[in-house]
Amino acid sequence: MRWSRAGRAATMESMTVEVSNPVATASCWSCGEMRVSQFCHACGKVQQPLPVDYFTFFSLPQKLEVDVGRLERAFYELSRKLHPDVYARGDAREQEWSLQQSSLLNDAYRTLKDPIKRTEYVLRLEGVELEEQSKTATDRARSTGEIKKQVVPPDLLEEVFDLNMQLEELRAQKKLGEDDPALVEEIGRQKLELEEKHGALVEQLKARWKEWDKAVDSGSEEDRRKVRDGMIDLLNRRNYIRNLVRDVNEVLEN
Amino acid sequence: MAYSDKVLDHYSNPRNVGSLDKSSQEVGTGLVGAPECGDVMKLQIKVNPQTNIIEDAKFKTFGCGSAIASSSLATEWVKGKTVDEALQIKNTEIVKELSLPPVKIHCSVLAEDAIRAAIHDWKKKQDVSKPATVEAR
Repeated sequence: MRWSRAGRAATMESMTVEVSNPVATASCWSCGEMRVSQFCHACGKVQQPLPVDYFTFFSLPQKLEVDVGRLERAFYELSRKLHPDVYARGDAREQEWSLQQSSLLNDAYRTLKDPIKRTEYVLRLEGVELEEQSKTATDRARSTGEIKKQVVPPDLLEEVFDLNMQLEELRAQKKLGEDDPALVEEIGRQKLELEEKHGALVEQLKARWKEWDKAVDSGSEEDRRKVRDGMIDLLNRRNYIRNLVRDVNEVLEN
Repeated sequence: MAYSDKVLDHYSNPRNVGSLDKSSQEVGTGLVGAPECGDVMKLQIKVNPQTNIIEDAKFKTFGCGSAIASSSLATEWVKGKTVDEALQIKNTEIVKELSLPPVKIHCSVLAEDAIRAAIHDWKKKQDVSKPATVEAR
């Protein structure tokens, strides 16, 4: 689902305010009044989930800088109110919908709480599929004959390759029961460096949030594209490093 | 997910694993990666400067079975081809040959990227070595 420009700019001040996005409003099945995302604002009955994005679900503005305290409070409050046990003796529809709403609530919370997942989610709302990046770039390289711009920078690739070579060596040594302490130490040192790099990338990503929110507010397509591409680059590097650290841990712990 | 027999064959018996002298004038090196899965693939070609024919190819891939099979197959296919012929190899042909499932298509994309990157690196070396383009900096 893509947001219209008007929908994206709409801000929702509090949980009880009626949202201005037409997608997020509909009539209550029970009393016919207008409703908000989970409950009818008039009679309070649980509603069938609407196809809204996670921000709208929480009545939060669609921004990368999220008031986590507010998100948490909303989550706990909704968890209580939507819990299927509350509807155990209710209407069959209410039972079904409270279950659906609860599962949506959990997905939405897990996604928005996590800085990386949140960023990836916002990019997805923008129509960016990180997995598609590489394929698109290859198609472009093929048709223009130009060298493909790697989504991962060459220096990082070299590092990943070299460390993988060392890991392979260590795996082979471990199989023979003769691990070289110097190699173990060297890999451990590189792992620390990678973890530091990972932390720095996440910080850089967070620094982009403010710029992104500003670009969305200002409506500048150019700023928006620039920040978006910067975030994609950071996420790609970060995913690479995360996978590598995982592999290193696997080898060191075995 | 089950791998096809051809993937298993390349995986358990990869062709042309190894490396060529990166600094050699006749060798092009391509190093590519897929951030979604963390795979990294190095493919090298050795080109005869008189005929532009790829006489040798080596690879080293860290990744899943499909990535290893795709790059192994890529080295087999580029050998004996001219550089321009090798540029015609498309990932879809690799997909077909290895019967890769949709979730593994990116592995074949990576192999095509690796071929292109290696050829690009080799071409760059040839350009630089021509006296006409060497300029004082």
